[in-house]
Amino acid sequence: MINKILIANRGEIAVRIIKACREMGIATVAVYSEADRDSLHVQLADEAVLIGPPPATDSYLNMGRIVQAAQAAHSQAIHPGYGFLAENADFARLCEKEGIIFIGPNSNALELVGDKVRARQTMEKAGISIIPGMKSIPKSVAECEAAARTIGYPVIVKASAGGGGKGMRIVGEENDLKPAVEAGMREAKSAFGDESVYLEKYLEEPRHVEFQVLADNFGHMVHLFERECSIQRRHQKIVEETPSPALDDGLRAKMGEAAKKAMQAADYNNAGTVEFLLDRNSNFYFLEVNARLQVEHPVTELVTGVDLVRQQIRIASGEKLSMAQNDLRQRGHAIECRIYAEDPANNFLPSAGKILFVKEPKGPGVRHDGGIYSGWDVPIYYDPILAKLIVWAENRDLACRRMTSALDDYAIIGIHTTIGFLKDIINHPEFRAGRTNTGFIKRYFESWGEKGKDPGMLRPVLAAAAFDELNPAAHVQGAESRPSRKERFSPWQSLGKWRIGGI
Amino acid sequence: MEFEFLIDHIFHKVSVDKTGNALLFKEAGASFEADIRSISENVLSIIIEGRSYSATIVRDKDKKIVFLNGRSYIVEKPGEGAKAFHGGEERTREGQLRITAPMPGRVIKINVAEGEKVRKNQTLAIVEAMKMENEIKASCEAVVKKIHTSTGELVDAEKLLIELELEK
Repeated sequence: MINKILIANRGEIAVRIIKACREMGIATVAVYSEADRDSLHVQLADEAVLIGPPPATDSYLNMGRIVQAAQAAHSQAIHPGYGFLAENADFARLCEKEGIIFIGPNSNALELVGDKVRARQTMEKAGISIIPGMKSIPKSVAECEAAARTIGYPVIVKASAGGGGKGMRIVGEENDLKPAVEAGMREAKSAFGDESVYLEKYLEEPRHVEFQVLADNFGHMVHLFERECSIQRRHQKIVEETPSPALDDGLRAKMGEAAKKAMQAADYNNAGTVEFLLDRNSNFYFLEVNARLQVEHPVTELVTGVDLVRQQIRIASGEKLSMAQNDLRQRGHAIECRIYAEDPANNFLPSAGKILFVKEPKGPGVRHDGGIYSGWDVPIYYDPILAKLIVWAENRDLACRRMTSALDDYAIIGIHTTIGFLKDIINHPEFRAGRTNTGFIKRYFESWGEKGKDPGMLRPVLAAAAFDELNPAAHVQGAESRPSRKERFSPWQSLGKWRIGGI
Repeated sequence: MEFEFLIDHIFHKVSVDKTGNALLFKEAGASFEADIRSISENVLSIIIEGRSYSATIVRDKDKKIVFLNGRSYIVEKPGEGAKAFHGGEERTREGQLRITAPMPGRVIKINVAEGEKVRKNQTLAIVEAMKMENEIKASCEAVVKKIHTSTGELVDAEKLLIELELEK
């Protein structure tokens, strides 16, 4: 039985995993870089180990250091979260060799599906349709150019080790191929430590539909239905939902079976996701396997009632799956919005810096998975995801309304975030009608600006500003202007008129 | 008492008087009463003519940020920090452009050399932050006058990267 887990990650996903561990009575070990001493996951874990300087290559990607930390803390297992080492077969193998349970698939399956080129070959053999593309990693740009001519433009450059849009470039013509391949290689190298890229035919405006799979170590496997993740920017998902408005029960069953077949072909265990592209004629193509817990796993949890992190830990402990395919139903509708530290009105520039204040939305059917708090400095070194807002409601329309209301209540002050942008996506008539595809953002939101503000709000804003001038001691201030005088926090100054014992 | 504010860069002048438990505001010839309570360090409850608002207010250096009904409003005093600067580029003397870092990050590539002519939209440098590459582009035809950074440098927002000179 596992009684202590090291979480080889940071941010909201580390927090999510720590919470599952707590509920299961499992102790947690956080690891952190020098840039993350103040991060939330460090505060919430039972133990915390410094593993290196801020750049991920020196800390969260440092396999030796992380394994060493796990051994020193006597933790039997490592949960890698998503990103960083989550899909690194060498890391899984190192854990296996050192007798540490890697909470994820076995290293052979991970190696197979993590190598996007071999995965495509395997799926093709298993009878699952794939998108035309290169079948091996090219050794030169010239080889890419030749392949692109065969496949036909537009093509997409993809990182072999990748995910999350890192290293990806769409290329429309031969002149743009070389710089795209080079940029893709650089980004892949810095994100995954592996610069291999390959080319694939680029399908225009398909839907992105993926299936969640759970498999135990004894060959039992279920799928937990689909997630529609068509709303993407720079190939990064930003809004996800389930059920998909594009699937009927017949297509859902067909794709679910294909997903299980794909995972069987890879001899896969633990939680994983099979991604498909779905074209306008309901043809679906295998895209890749995400051999990890996904960012968007909460929407599946909300409609199926299954805690995926808990299941991952149970499977890794050697327990049998406690559910059969027929036990699983989709109930209601769930939507997730990813909150990024980016400025949507300014070309989505990353927005690191101090979060002066956070007010998280609350209410029935509202879930907030976050790694942020008031006063935290968002570091520049890592992925800009701050938090995820997830809602559940009885149907899609009600879920959209609930999401809009929750986004309205969500204040993150001090840095730019995507909250306003997400609100306009959820309220877009095409989104509300369920007509989404991977070209949605490009088509409708290419030059987004925040809509005009409500002139009715001017009076309360003026009132708030003037009240604040009249009562300067009433509020917490931004870091730079915080006075050093201790008396500011004295009750004699801040309480005003008060009475002892309410007399 | 009188206050002058820039709210999202628009000038407002307001006078405030106490009337019992409420405050009487006069702005641009109109007046309204507001009953305001400080609920917690950053939250105000405001009732104006029977309508209830929950405002979150935060101070950041010389600004106040008021969050209300899903939107943030930037409140500044006239003359202080009234210029919003987003990085990118700035015209100084006639015919000169200063290209600055749009956000904190690391310069991973400089694509041009001093003295080189650049086209509009040509990539001048690539700055990486939060694992994404961001291309810094020229907004018009120009000549690279001076490069103020080097590959690998960690830069703060608004750090001068490249000076351009417009073609006469």
